[in-house]
Amino acid sequence: MRRRPGIAGLQGAAAARDQFRLLGENVAKIRTDLMKEQLATFRSQLEDFALKHKNDIRKNPAFRSQFHEMCAKVGVDPLASNKGFWAELLGIGDFYYELGVQIVEICLGTRPHNGGLINLQELCTLLRHKRKTSREAVSEDDCLRAISKLKVLGSGFEVISVGKKKLVRSVPTELNKDHNEIIELAQGQGYVTVDEVERRLSWTSGRAIDTLETLLDEGFAMIDDGHRDGKRRYWFPCVSSISSTVVTDA
Amino acid sequence: MQKLGDFKLPPFFNYPPYFTLQPVRETREKQIQLWKELILDYCRTQKIFVIGLEEEFPLFSNTVIERSLTHEARQAFLSALVSEGRAEWLDKVRRKCLILWHRIQDWADIIVNFVKDNGLEDSVMTVEELRSGTESRGTELQGLDRTILLRALKLLEHKGKLAIFKGTSADDEGVKFSI
Repeated sequence: MRRRPGIAGLQGAAAARDQFRLLGENVAKIRTDLMKEQLATFRSQLEDFALKHKNDIRKNPAFRSQFHEMCAKVGVDPLASNKGFWAELLGIGDFYYELGVQIVEICLGTRPHNGGLINLQELCTLLRHKRKTSREAVSEDDCLRAISKLKVLGSGFEVISVGKKKLVRSVPTELNKDHNEIIELAQGQGYVTVDEVERRLSWTSGRAIDTLETLLDEGFAMIDDGHRDGKRRYWFPCVSSISSTVVTDA
Repeated sequence: MQKLGDFKLPPFFNYPPYFTLQPVRETREKQIQLWKELILDYCRTQKIFVIGLEEEFPLFSNTVIERSLTHEARQAFLSALVSEGRAEWLDKVRRKCLILWHRIQDWADIIVNFVKDNGLEDSVMTVEELRSGTESRGTELQGLDRTILLRALKLLEHKGKLAIFKGTSADDEGVKFSI
């Protein structure tokens, strides 16, 4: 005959549940404590690391880029706030804000020449030129980081990839796929002709001329009628290397 | 860096589209600005006072990139200088242009300073002496274009700082200073 559930059995089960709960809470607490401790250790280790390599982080662009990568992997953004311990520790926030301001200056200064579209490489060269006196070296990675911080201003600073090159756009003009294709084509020689666009991209002449005219109107291109073959060339200061020297002296 | 004699050419001089007058306003303004500066700089360092539009002029063509300025472009750049008072057309058809890297007023000031520096406040000099005499050697007045010199002198005469009087031939116009 089966025993029916009695009061003692119920009490026993309740007690066991309590015991389990207690144990569970204890285990959870121990685990949180452990986690907290680990986090604290991690943070102090990261701080130690940052302190120890402070100079490397400041001066060596390659090292800085790796440090950023490491931080990103563990979910720490050293640039998130200028008031955090990173800023106090490294002054790294100020570094990027300074770069940001200088990048804006360069983009504005070269706008009459390139229409607000500048090659990332060229931007870096100009930036280094401008910062000649500062001791810290600047890499393209630094430029990209500084530009990404400029986005909060909502002024339409953006890095676009055209072919193999990265271009920095500082005007609100959106470039569509057709524009991009032409700029990519121009990377070869620094210029394109209508014929070339029709042939290489298999476009109709109307489409080629329209797109080129838009780029011209936006100030991204300049015409050149001086070649002896008599064909009009459309030059793109944002992709031809000579422009980098033009603007520094202008 | 490409050079013309001892003159350093700016990088834009090697960028072909700068030799074609740009159709878009903002781009053209920038282009004209660069050319104006180049023309003034070059004339100042090379002591060139007159540019003939139809004549050979080192800045008007670049053999390295095989480009040269059209007549229209030359006229546009020089007209821009004229509108700023840094140049003047010497004829109605705009073939010759006087380049004033110092404005007439500034040339007049240079003459006044020259006169003061040499203690010539109430002396008499010929116009030719002013631009080729021993006193002017090594100063900016040496080799100054006669047209510009006369314009500056007339301006000073107008202000009562000197009197110009005719000699027997065109070459020996005299100047009596009263500064």
